Amino acid sequence: MRRSVGEIMGRTGIRIPLILWTIAVLYPIFWMFLGSFKSNAEIYRNPWGWPETFNFANFTQAWSNYNIDTSVFNSLIVTLLGAILTLVLATPTAYAIERINFRGSKVLFTVFISAMMIPMVLGWIPLFFLLDDLNLLDNIFGLVIVYAVSQLPFSIFVLTSFMSTIPKSLEESAAIDGLSPYGILFKIVTPLSMSGIITVTIMNCIQFWNEYFMALIFLQTKTNYTLALAIDYISNEAQYTNAWGTLFASLVIAIVPVIFLYGIFQRRIAKGMTEGAIKG
Amino acid sequence: MVQSKKQKYTFLAFCLVPTFIMFAIFTLYPLFSGLYYSFFDWSGSSSNREFIGFANYIKLFKDTIIPDTIIHDYFLVVTKIIGIMVLAMFFAVALTQLKIKEAPFYRIVFFFPNIMSVVVIGILWTFIYNPSLGLVNSGLEFLGLEEWVKPWLGDEKWALPSIILPAVWAGIGLFMLMLMGGIANISKSYYEAARIDGASEWQQFWKITLPLVWPQVKVSILYIVITTLNGSFILVQVMTGGGPNNSTHVMGSYLYQQAFKQYNFGYGATIGVMILVLSLITVLFFQFLMRREKVEY
Repeated sequence: MRRSVGEIMGRTGIRIPLILWTIAVLYPIFWMFLGSFKSNAEIYRNPWGWPETFNFANFTQAWSNYNIDTSVFNSLIVTLLGAILTLVLATPTAYAIERINFRGSKVLFTVFISAMMIPMVLGWIPLFFLLDDLNLLDNIFGLVIVYAVSQLPFSIFVLTSFMSTIPKSLEESAAIDGLSPYGILFKIVTPLSMSGIITVTIMNCIQFWNEYFMALIFLQTKTNYTLALAIDYISNEAQYTNAWGTLFASLVIAIVPVIFLYGIFQRRIAKGMTEGAIKG
Repeated sequence: MVQSKKQKYTFLAFCLVPTFIMFAIFTLYPLFSGLYYSFFDWSGSSSNREFIGFANYIKLFKDTIIPDTIIHDYFLVVTKIIGIMVLAMFFAVALTQLKIKEAPFYRIVFFFPNIMSVVVIGILWTFIYNPSLGLVNSGLEFLGLEEWVKPWLGDEKWALPSIILPAVWAGIGLFMLMLMGGIANISKSYYEAARIDGASEWQQFWKITLPLVWPQVKVSILYIVITTLNGSFILVQVMTGGGPNNSTHVMGSYLYQQAFKQYNFGYGATIGVMILVLSLITVLFFQFLMRREKVEY
């Protein structure tokens, strides 16, 4: 094939916007990491450059003086318990909707899925008082339940689509061998849908780790703050104390686990999110 | 399968009932009682909850901040759709059609902001817009454009437009991947035929790529509409809290302020109903606008 000079120029030219956008995405993130090693004075003197020395004072400051340790612990609890509870609730329902014939299965699926399109902000006011009545307001376990239920539609949707790819003959032969439906669900279907379960769990973990607004509404005491709330608090304080270094350090603490998960499960995360969006 | 009817129904109940009860209590009930509360004057304690009929709705129509919040929301919807779709389409075409070796690298990088916490994005960009230290003002000074330097998020005119950039920055990756999925499904033979007929790359894009990825474009736009109307207030809350002087309030952040800051829970619920109604109408409107015969060649 003949290639004109213009075409070769075009191939190079097309890289310019791609490289510019790469810088636009990566530079703020790098700069956040660099800032976390700078003293406040250095941030003022040299906000965008390389740090003079790498010192971890900001991290120890955030960790001990701003209670980030408690918040990290709360966020871990909320994330892990939330992800487990979502699975416990979503897996059997996804299986029943996908594999068992019963009247109303389509309607039930539609009810769950349409909740993905409804603005939940309307529900947060009554939910606030409901949690208060149940003694679950300002309680991270209350937040666990709210989180888990909020991710049910997405989780059920992804799990049903994974389960539909499992051959029915495996369940049939297991039933002939005398396995109960419970045995089929837990010993055959669950292990076979492991790929879907992992995708859903990673997505839910990232969602719960990052979540801000429901935590803002449903948690009030500082010792119950999740990481997102603690960072928001430090950020508001920084307007007056100018403790930018501490703020950057806490942002780094929040983003490192996400980068880590993305590094390992990049394909799964991208696929899970696009699938969720296509139905949303 | 060998099992009695009774066994089947017990198993079904085991699978469905606990999940549905939780879903009913923590999702369905709050939504419906939100509708119900919108008819009450209510400051939080159950003793002083008073039924006032449509008074909250009348207040809603008279509230001079409400039209601004609606305009702000739709301003974000429209600018986000344009910004995200143009860039995402450009990147998607570039990464699939033109043979770029390092395409997977760009794909991985561009997607990453989609899984960052809104808090991290908001605070990062608040600092980028910081009047004295921020990247934007430093960059403008470096380029000798001192007269453009301003306190972006503190400026009533510029605060809302400033929020678009982080929203686009954080959103592009997902929609780029959705469009790339669509483009990957287009048969190469269409492009070969077009090239033989002498069609330019632009003509190929307008006549082949765009019509054939239309389903993905449509889904992406609807998704941007839904997530913006249901979630743009989170970024607003982190970056400006609705200020300065209400110039960035969107419907959701105004609801938060009315209900959880000023304890007008009944009125807050009324704003919630408005968000629900407007987002349903908008989704239907866009679905109508983008209806198009399915293209098959």
